[in-house]
Amino acid sequence: MSDSDSHAIHSHGPITRPGDLPTSEDLDHAGHGSGHDGHDNHAGHGGIGKYLLVFVALCGLTTMSFLTYSPYWPWRNEPHVGWAFMMAVSCTKALLVVLFFMHVFWEANWKYVLTIPAAMMAIFLALMLVPDIGMRNRMVSQERALHMARASDVRLMEQAAESQVLAEPAH
Amino acid sequence: MNASAISLPHGHDGHSADHHGGHGGGHGDGHGHHGPVLQYQPGLPLTRGKLIMWLFLSTEIMFFAALLGSYVVLRFGAPVWPKPHHVHLSEPIGAFNTFVLICSSVTIVLALEAARVNRAGLAKLWMLLTLLLGILFLGVKGYEYQAKFSHGIYPQKPRSQIYEKPDLYYGSAVRARLGEPAIIDKLKELDDTPADQLTAEQVAARGRLQQIRKMVTSPEQQAFDLAVVADQVMPLPTAGPGGSHDGGHGGDGGQGGHGGHTSGLNDIFPWLRLPAVIPGGNMWASTYFLLTGFHAVHVLVGLIVFTILLLYKLDSKQAGKIENAGLYWHFVDLVWIFLFPLLYLF
Repeated sequence: MSDSDSHAIHSHGPITRPGDLPTSEDLDHAGHGSGHDGHDNHAGHGGIGKYLLVFVALCGLTTMSFLTYSPYWPWRNEPHVGWAFMMAVSCTKALLVVLFFMHVFWEANWKYVLTIPAAMMAIFLALMLVPDIGMRNRMVSQERALHMARASDVRLMEQAAESQVLAEPAH
Repeated sequence: MNASAISLPHGHDGHSADHHGGHGGGHGDGHGHHGPVLQYQPGLPLTRGKLIMWLFLSTEIMFFAALLGSYVVLRFGAPVWPKPHHVHLSEPIGAFNTFVLICSSVTIVLALEAARVNRAGLAKLWMLLTLLLGILFLGVKGYEYQAKFSHGIYPQKPRSQIYEKPDLYYGSAVRARLGEPAIIDKLKELDDTPADQLTAEQVAARGRLQQIRKMVTSPEQQAFDLAVVADQVMPLPTAGPGGSHDGGHGGDGGQGGHGGHTSGLNDIFPWLRLPAVIPGGNMWASTYFLLTGFHAVHVLVGLIVFTILLLYKLDSKQAGKIENAGLYWHFVDLVWIFLFPLLYLF
C-alpha cells in the first residue's frame, strides 16, 4: 500500500509506464472536467436513481411512439405527422441512451472526435443513396411500369375482399 | 489501491507537461528503476479497450446508418409499400421487444455500477438478467420470424411465394401450384371428405377453394377475378389499431370491416401453400430480414460476450470489461430504438 501511495504522489499527468495505463475508474474522474478535483465520490455522476429516471423516460417515450398506432392518435389520415413525431421520439430516446447509459454526458471532449465524423458519414451515406435509389421509380421503362406493384393493386385487392363475387358457401 | 492512485490532469496538456518536467526522471531513480523508462502517453484520456470499443462503435454507426438509410430510401422511393399488418407484423410484439431491450440496457448499467463498488455477486445477478432479457428478445424475434415463414414470406430460399400484383403471372403461378400432382391428390382427398369431419370454417373455405380453382382455369376469366383469387389465398388485412394479425389465426381486429373472411386459404389449409399477393412485399421482406437479421446477429454476439463475462468474478477489476460490453449492448439497443418505429409503425 505504501508503495502505491508514494506512486500516487509522484505520478503526475497522463504519462505513465507501459502497462500502467489508467483504469476506467481514473478516467471517469478525468472526464469530469476541471470543476472536480478528481477525488470525489464516484457515484457523483451515474447514480442508480438517475439511471432509473432515464429508464422511466425511455418507457414513457416508447409508449408515446406507440400512441401513433393507437386509436387515440388524432392524425390518422396524415401519416407524415406520425412519422415526424416518431422520429423525434426516437432521436430523444437515442440521445438519452447515448448520454446517460453510455456515459457520454460525463466524458471528456474526445467524444466529439469519434461521434461527429461518424454521424456525418452516416448522414452523407444515406443522402448519397437518394438520387439512384430513392428516385429510381421517377423514370421507368414501360415494361417495368407494367409489372411493378402500385397502390392501385392494394385497392384492387381491397375491392375484391369487399365484393361478393364468390357465392357464399357453396353447398 | 494502485489504480486510483494515478491522478490524471484535468484535460490540460500544458498543465501536465509542467508537472512532468518538474518531477523529471529523478523520482524514477528514487523508485529503483533501471535506466531510462519508456513512457507512454495515451492520445485520448481513456483506456485502450474503451477507445477501441468506441472506434468500433463509430464504424458500427456507419454500418447501421447505411442499412437504415437504404431502407428509408428504398421505402420512400417505392411506388407502394406494404402496411405492417399486410405482412403480419404485430406492433404490440414489437413494442414489447423494445421494452425488453430497454430493460436489458438498464440491467447492464446496474451490473457496471455494482461491479464498480466491488459487489461482485450483485453485478453477476444483473449480468445474468441482461443475458436472459437478450435471450427473451431473440425468442420473440424467432416467434415473429416464424409468423412470416408460415405466410410464405422468406428472406431467401425456398423462393418467396409473394407476388407483387394479381396479374396474369400470378394466375399462372396459382394454376401451376394447383396442377402439382401432390396438390391434386390432396385436393381430391379434401373434396371427398364428408362435411361432418371438417370444421364449419373448413367447409366454407373448401367451397371458396373450389370456386377459385374454377376461376383460375376458366377461359372467361376477368382481370378482377385474379384479385379475388389473391384475396382468398391471403387477404390483405385492413385491421387498424387493436387488430392482432400476427398468427393469422387470431380474431379479427373488428375495425377493418373486411368482407366476410379474415384468414386466407393458405392459413386454413397450410399444405396448400398457394402463391400470395402482397404489393411491394418482396422488397419489404428483403429489407426486413436484412435489418432485423443483422440486428439479431449483434444481439447474439452480445449474448456470447455476456456469457463469457459471467465466467469471471465481476468485481471492480472487471469494471472496464463490463463497461465495454455495456457500450456495445447500448448500441444494439440504440439500433432497435430506430428499427422499431421504422419497421412497425411507419
